Amino acid sequence: MSAQPTPSRPTDPRRTSHLQKRASLLPKPSSITLDPSVLIAQHAQLTGTHPITIGPASVLHPHSKISSASAPVVLGPGVIIYERAKVGLGMGEGTEAESRRSSMAESRRGSRIEGARGEGTVLGRNVVVETNAVVEAAEVGEGSVVEVGAYLGRGCVVGRFCTIGAHCKVPDNTHLPDYTVLFGVAERRVDRTLLLRPEVQEMRTAFHTKQLDAFRRLLPNNIAKWT
Amino acid sequence: MAQPFPYTYYACDCFDSTTTTASKRASQVLAAAAEEDERDFDPRSPRSNYSLFPLEHLLYCEDCQQIRCPRCVIEETLNWYCPSCLFEVPSSVVKSDGNRCTRNCFNCPVCTAPMTTNSLDTSGDNGPPYILACPYCHWSTVEIGIEFEKSTGISSQLARVANGGKHIPTQKERDKERERKKELEERRREGRAVMSPSEESPTTDTEREEVAPSHDELFANLGAFYKSQMEAQTPSNPFSSHDINYSSPSAYSRIVNLYSSTTSKKNKRNKHTPFREAGSALEGLTIHDSAADAAAIERIKREGWGSTLSPSTKHAQINPNLRFDNELRPLATLLCTKRSKRCRSCRHILSKPETKVTSTRYKIKLLALNHIPRLSIRALPLNINPAQQQPLAPPARPESAFNYNGLKSGIPTHFLLHLSNPLFDPIRVTLATPSTTPGKVQSRITILCPQFDVGANTDVWDDALASTLSPINRTSLINDAGQIEAGKIWDRGRNWTSVVVEVVPGFLKPVAFPVLAEDGKGGGEAEGDDGGLDEDEDVLEIPVFVRIEFEADVVAEERGLGVSVGGGDAKKGEGGAREKREVAFWTVVGAGRIAPL
Repeated sequence: MSAQPTPSRPTDPRRTSHLQKRASLLPKPSSITLDPSVLIAQHAQLTGTHPITIGPASVLHPHSKISSASAPVVLGPGVIIYERAKVGLGMGEGTEAESRRSSMAESRRGSRIEGARGEGTVLGRNVVVETNAVVEAAEVGEGSVVEVGAYLGRGCVVGRFCTIGAHCKVPDNTHLPDYTVLFGVAERRVDRTLLLRPEVQEMRTAFHTKQLDAFRRLLPNNIAKWT
Repeated sequence: MAQPFPYTYYACDCFDSTTTTASKRASQVLAAAAEEDERDFDPRSPRSNYSLFPLEHLLYCEDCQQIRCPRCVIEETLNWYCPSCLFEVPSSVVKSDGNRCTRNCFNCPVCTAPMTTNSLDTSGDNGPPYILACPYCHWSTVEIGIEFEKSTGISSQLARVANGGKHIPTQKERDKERERKKELEERRREGRAVMSPSEESPTTDTEREEVAPSHDELFANLGAFYKSQMEAQTPSNPFSSHDINYSSPSAYSRIVNLYSSTTSKKNKRNKHTPFREAGSALEGLTIHDSAADAAAIERIKREGWGSTLSPSTKHAQINPNLRFDNELRPLATLLCTKRSKRCRSCRHILSKPETKVTSTRYKIKLLALNHIPRLSIRALPLNINPAQQQPLAPPARPESAFNYNGLKSGIPTHFLLHLSNPLFDPIRVTLATPSTTPGKVQSRITILCPQFDVGANTDVWDDALASTLSPINRTSLINDAGQIEAGKIWDRGRNWTSVVVEVVPGFLKPVAFPVLAEDGKGGGEAEGDDGGLDEDEDVLEIPVFVRIEFEADVVAEERGLGVSVGGGDAKKGEGGAREKREVAFWTVVGAGRIAPL
């Protein structure tokens, strides 16, 4: 767990020690590569020993969790991670019975290459991971939206401009082609509107840029903690 | 009944009236009714499944002074409204335009979510063209090739455009087209001599267009055809019995006239032509075309199974002949209704919501909750040591919550039956229950205090000021042997009373007893028992007959009837005084599930 930010309090003259009240139990991840334009809000958590790379203009909301405990994590440019979203392998507790044990086994086993992709989670540009979603996937393509409460199992490969609907569960090692929409219980279809009309894609990207701008103005940036 | 324990269901008497009175004569009806009264209520019989309801589902008719279940109420619609735009649609418009919203509300054909109007304008301001898009599954009218010029009046724009942007003719245009085509047909038929063989057949005529008429066109043609037929049949004199008028309710006379052959009517009958059916596509006839089937098969081969519609999507569409997903049309939202409920026998209004669409309140709301005492049951774990003075509720030892799914056979278990009175008068309650529960598993039930009073549902302050009740010392209920005394209530409050029920759950399987043991508990000696129990036979359900008596003020009957209809003996008090009333009903209390030994 990362350190709780100390509440700003006037220094009490009676204090004899200058140690922080609550010290962090785990060391800060040794290798975080941050672009200076990234916005990391307060209480965001980045944990793990493998490298974490965050692309320019990304936004991490408060209480979002990125874990590179088992494998490196790469976030592309313009990625938005909402509150309580979890990105990284081993984050999906409770969804799989042995997830905790398996993540321990993973780290002990060392590197394990799956297919040609290797371990790790890669989010493409302008990916949005909404509240309470869990992304353990291997790769999420550009412009995709992972909606509230969704779960992407490990090894998943999601194409570009996909929409994983709210509370949809994608099993491990699933491959979703570009422009797929998952909705309902187990239904999927191809979003032909986005496919056929590039202007709809452009409008979506423009809206995304406006959102990034709005967050930049609303959220205080706590990036200093991680650099 | 898959409910969490414990539960209480109330029985409505409605099933008696519909079945017995219809078939039997009056004398038999009385005998049957008397029989019903004496018979205990069997919650296991298949019929009782339809007459048991939780108290919250029941309404109460004040005139009949009886509970009314959802089956014995009549519903009437008050108004129609669209759930998306909340626009109230007058019923006359519903009769003519149908039961769907005719403004801008559409549901997605794929996922049935409400659709929003989006602009495809890339310059930022929301100008035309517009599309309907589903925010959930991302289907939009782009996929069927439809775009709108205005953002309002979508349903009229949609009616004019077919998928792919083709133009749909309006009603007037269609009529004109039909007339024109009919005239062409007539002229062609006259021009062709009957005897001369003709090489050209209408289908190869190049003048005609080869486009198959659409579903809506065929329907419009058929409607126009029947209308013209009926006009041709309407006789000049509507009351004449010889001619046949199809649009009047004298159809019976029509059929009679057809089959009665008296000579005097023959000359009149020659006048009219028989009512014929449609003969061509222009009149609405659909001829099966195997070429269309072959084309559909080719298309599936080409585009794959994914391009066809799922059954639920297909059935939701208006046109039943659609197969492929580029033929989908947005679904207009179905209108919802606000309804009022009436008692089936006396037509008294039991529940009437406010006409305003956005308000959820009710003008009239006669609930059984406000007229019938609520019965509930819970387990009473008896751990009281008589030596200790513990006047309070059973010791709240948090060791183990009572397991309602594991009642032990043969061991007396105590339950607390709690009655709360919603009326403003104190009531006297009499409870009765058969000594053994009906069904395969026979459990012994004993209500330790079958008759008691429950206080009125007065204000809390009135009660506090005028209370004369002494708090109950519960240890006095338990005698030295540790058994609860019979004949005394367990606890009482302002408007509630609780009594103890002792239950000895029966045995699930016949226990082989040695000959000497005489055991009165449980029907364990059932012989020839067929192997296993059916599902839910091990649920302990206690039928309880509740009779409440109270005195209420006589309500001045506005309809001028002097007789008040009571459930039993109702004595009329003199002029405005109190009136003795009695209400009785069966309830089924689900106490728990008996665990197998």
